[in-house]
Amino acid sequence: MTPGSSHPDILIVGGGLLGCASAWHLARRGLRVALVEQSQVNAGASGQNAGSLHFQIERRFLEQGEEAASDAARIVSLNRLAIAEWQGLEDMLGRGLDIAMHGGLMVAETEAEMALLAFKVARENALGLPTRLLDADELRARAPCLSPHLAGAAWLAEEGHANPRILAGAFAQQAAREGAVIACGARLTGLAMQADGQYRATIEGLDGLGEVTTPRVLLASGHWSARLAGLLGLNLPLYPVPLMMNVTERGEQVLPFLVQHVGQRLSMKQSEDGNFLIGGGWPSRFRRRADGLPDLDRPGEIVEANLLGNLAVAARVMPGLAARSLLRSWTGTTCISADQLPLVGEVGKAPGLFVAAGGSLFTLGPVLARLLAQTIVDGRPADELALFLPDRFAHLNAFAVLP
Amino acid sequence: MNASMSYDVAIVGGGPAGMAAAERTIGAGLSTCLIDEQPRLGGQILRQPPPGFAVTGWQSGRLYRAARALLARVERLDAFDFRAGHAVLGVGAGHAEEGGFALSVQPLATGGVERIDARRVIVAGGCYDMPVAFPGWTLPGVMSAGAVQTLLKSPQVLPGGRIALFGTHPLMIVLAEQILAAGGEVAGVHFAQPRRAMLAALGPRLPGVLRAWRPLLEGARGLANLRQAGVPVHFGSAIVRAEGGDALEAITLLRAGGRERVACDVAAMCYGFLPQSDLVRQVGAAVRWAPGPGGWETLCDEGMRSSLPGLYVAGETAGVAGSDVAMLRGALAGVTLACDAGALDEVEGARVAAALRARIARLAPFTAMLRELADPQAYLPEPELETLVCRCEDVSARALDAAIAACAEGDDGFGASAVKLRCRAGMGLCQGRSCEHAVIRRIARASGREAAQVAGFTARFPARAVPIAELLERDAPAR
Repeated sequence: MTPGSSHPDILIVGGGLLGCASAWHLARRGLRVALVEQSQVNAGASGQNAGSLHFQIERRFLEQGEEAASDAARIVSLNRLAIAEWQGLEDMLGRGLDIAMHGGLMVAETEAEMALLAFKVARENALGLPTRLLDADELRARAPCLSPHLAGAAWLAEEGHANPRILAGAFAQQAAREGAVIACGARLTGLAMQADGQYRATIEGLDGLGEVTTPRVLLASGHWSARLAGLLGLNLPLYPVPLMMNVTERGEQVLPFLVQHVGQRLSMKQSEDGNFLIGGGWPSRFRRRADGLPDLDRPGEIVEANLLGNLAVAARVMPGLAARSLLRSWTGTTCISADQLPLVGEVGKAPGLFVAAGGSLFTLGPVLARLLAQTIVDGRPADELALFLPDRFAHLNAFAVLP
Repeated sequence: MNASMSYDVAIVGGGPAGMAAAERTIGAGLSTCLIDEQPRLGGQILRQPPPGFAVTGWQSGRLYRAARALLARVERLDAFDFRAGHAVLGVGAGHAEEGGFALSVQPLATGGVERIDARRVIVAGGCYDMPVAFPGWTLPGVMSAGAVQTLLKSPQVLPGGRIALFGTHPLMIVLAEQILAAGGEVAGVHFAQPRRAMLAALGPRLPGVLRAWRPLLEGARGLANLRQAGVPVHFGSAIVRAEGGDALEAITLLRAGGRERVACDVAAMCYGFLPQSDLVRQVGAAVRWAPGPGGWETLCDEGMRSSLPGLYVAGETAGVAGSDVAMLRGALAGVTLACDAGALDEVEGARVAAALRARIARLAPFTAMLRELADPQAYLPEPELETLVCRCEDVSARALDAAIAACAEGDDGFGASAVKLRCRAGMGLCQGRSCEHAVIRRIARASGREAAQVAGFTARFPARAVPIAELLERDAPAR
């Protein structure tokens, strides 16, 4: 940390997409921003996910029955904002980001799955998202590389993918240009609220310990956010989820779309370079620490059965994939909140403490960062964040003692 | 995935080190599984002809005598599982309660993935030829010396009529003799380093080296044989480029006397060897940048224990030192493991280990001399800006340099993975084996660091690129 940043207007903890994008928005609005990242920018889930831009209601929301699905469907209104955000992102950041929004398909293999898709499409259309149901013939005409055995798909023209390897870095670069101080290799080891309501943060950096005093802290640290909130005695219902991803060698361009599956865990796409990226929420397994507890700080290890399960679904949906070679599988740790929706906004019990974490945050990251920055600058939550405010879990912090 | 098999020891690699380790663990009564991609034992040094083929005088040279004797002994053992034709794709933690390791193994003939559980693992993965990028190196006909040797040893094939050898490693002398013996023509042996540099490496160590005199004698005799056969052997003769249309036609070399163009069908490079360490890096054992050609050698203690409890290394995975040392280190790993497992009396184990270490120490002067004498670092050819450094992903030296410069903007401690993410070097089918050392060297040069200070690519599952259809194949016989 440089001395000039020991009293920033806000301390952002985490150099992922949310942290870097928020840093940029806030710095542009004139705040003195200090961002600390324990390793490198984009080293965590922001860079390890598959870069899907998915705006249809996710399969995980459909797993819990129709009522839960209807609740979760409210996220669709945010998805519509996210579409517009992605469409303007390259202009906004002034550089290419490998954003491809050529459409997305959520496929179905059975009639039962088609019925679920129909239910989903009806919900989405009612909320203003223009998904459309394709029958088997329409699907084949649109995506001849997919299996002829598919029953159909839900189509959304705005879906696609972007390159997760460069997005957070692009925000970080712009943030630095706007004056944000970004310190990599700097870990938050202590956080306390002073009597005057300011936060005192202890940062362990490459050049020793540093202290930062600031009126605002943003925890944008993925699954670590819960543990960092714990430094203040606060509870955030965020739980780590170790996942895996796979990439094949390059091939001829045959798949311009994002492909998901309504009944199976699958996300599949072909990158600009021709590699196929295959994932969809298949778990890896945490390694164990010496004391036997799961090691949340290291990437999980591959579970062969899940690897094969993931590849099998992908090859069933797109038979030509079987001829491609698997180059790499990797793991990363995302997190999930108690109600599956992200936590974005101020923690009421600790004024000045903000959080932005909770899954699906590649697709929603850019728009949430903008809304969060607006919230921080305006001093009141943006209307669009109503669904995501951390205080829906305020009861978990009823017994916290602050300062 | 098939039901798992459980062993006291899994040994990855059936070369001299793996065989020597297996001999000791089996001897100590430990249930042992030896896994190798090849259909037969022997590793690269004793690459055997395919099963059912007999070759008169196979590998009859004296350099192979000790390894052949070991091969014969291990082939006679029957109290162990030899998984021939199996590729190890990954090593991970074993059962939560029991510990140990779980290996993801692919039977190459049938496909599918099997799990092998083992309390302890010895990785004896060997090494591979250091690939070096220079103008024209991607032309068909430019190969590694090891590839030529493998073709000679196993299918007994000569890859071309006129074969030129270039590089810094004395293995070229052995290979040239093998080519001649197979009826091929050697269009010249070109050592990039001057003769005086080789003598300077040899001189001060001569007394110690003479205790392991046989390889030296073989080398001298090989040189004499080549001279007699009319094969030109040059020193201080460094490759500049390879030329040709669809395939190699000639190489150009630079010597004190000027440039020489040598017409040839095959040009084989021999700059030394990089340790195979993908599995140990994948599972998280500590490695360090190796001297000379570079690459990552696994850190281990004097008993060949890696930084991970239960994981041992042997042979070139622990640092390239040749097959004689590999065999001794394999035996040492086996003995240490047997002691750690309580299968070998500690006093007896310590005695055997001390004897093995003493034999390794006797070879050390020769190993050190050879490493210095063959060190390619000062003699590596320079790629032009348009030369591909990563041939899987078509990344030129120019594109690589641009990525390195971009990484340097934000961060002065960046490693090879950051560069890979920007320009795709190392992302392709070889998984970075070919270009990693070159990427690291270029980063080091650009940022004023030592290569050892630059972090390498992250090692991932699977250790080899595998067609998805082969992974999904479920017809593997149940075990």
